[in-house]
Amino acid sequence: MDAGRFAALADAYGSALHRWPPAEQAAATLFAETEQGRAILARAGRLDVMLDRHRVETPSPALHRAIVARATTKVRQERRRRFWWLGFGLAGVGLAGAVAGLALVTVVSPDIQSDHYVMDTNATSFGDAGPDADQAEEDL
Amino acid sequence: MGADPDEELVRRIGAGDPAAMQAMVARKLPRILALAARMLGDPAEAEDVAQETFVRIWRHASGWRQGHARFDTWIHRVALNLCYDRLRRRREWVTDELPELADDAPLPDAMPGDEERRVNQALQRLAPRQREAIVLVYYQELSNIEAAGAMQVSVDALESLLARGRRALQAMLIGDDGDD
Repeated sequence: MDAGRFAALADAYGSALHRWPPAEQAAATLFAETEQGRAILARAGRLDVMLDRHRVETPSPALHRAIVARATTKVRQERRRRFWWLGFGLAGVGLAGAVAGLALVTVVSPDIQSDHYVMDTNATSFGDAGPDADQAEEDL
Repeated sequence: MGADPDEELVRRIGAGDPAAMQAMVARKLPRILALAARMLGDPAEAEDVAQETFVRIWRHASGWRQGHARFDTWIHRVALNLCYDRLRRRREWVTDELPELADDAPLPDAMPGDEERRVNQALQRLAPRQREAIVLVYYQELSNIEAAGAMQVSVDALESLLARGRRALQAMLIGDDGDD
């Protein structure tokens, strides 16, 4: 590693080598032992000291509880939703079975209408008994 | 990429295990809250972002599968998106583009004990993408590849954002741009 690359990495990642790209840490560790390397790290370290002063508060127990409570609610809602979907699914399966059964009966069972002669309202088993029938016989 | 250390916990959350949810909050809340606090500079807004991030975790845990990114990188991306939503709303951007240039005028010297507020001011004056890069790599200690993945940029672009951000911070906090 040359001084240019070492300085570029220090500019980007700061003075702590553990933040540097893992693939370059070994070479950087060697270069850091040189006078030039030490000077570059010292300059980057001035900013790191400032940045390390910025601390954030640890999460409050109230926030922790609120997040867990929302999770619990979410799980309950999810279980309820799954229960309803299961119910709808079972009902759907039942309905589909009924429709399939009906369709099967319609297809398999014989067509009652087709085997029967549908008599005219004026016809008898002996022939046509309509109002013109007698007249027709007299005309003969 | 090795095994994801969060994978088993995520699987248990997906199965509705309350103990796993408790464990996930204990493990990730400090990191998510710190990320949001540094991105937004407002503790109350940071708490809102943290809560919303966990809602997304609960919602997506059952369907989450390890792909290119670790779970930790994914939740960083989720939290960052929520932060950007708030930054856009807060500043009422005319366009969706956030500024790339930082305002790096030196900040007034701090009174003793006031350095933390000064650093916070300097971070908030950075261009958001530079601040994001520094927060992910410096404070969250994501590797360069993880940070680039969370930011959806190349490692070279990440290094450029980091270097420009650190130069701006140097100018604001120390009074030089680091080129000496």
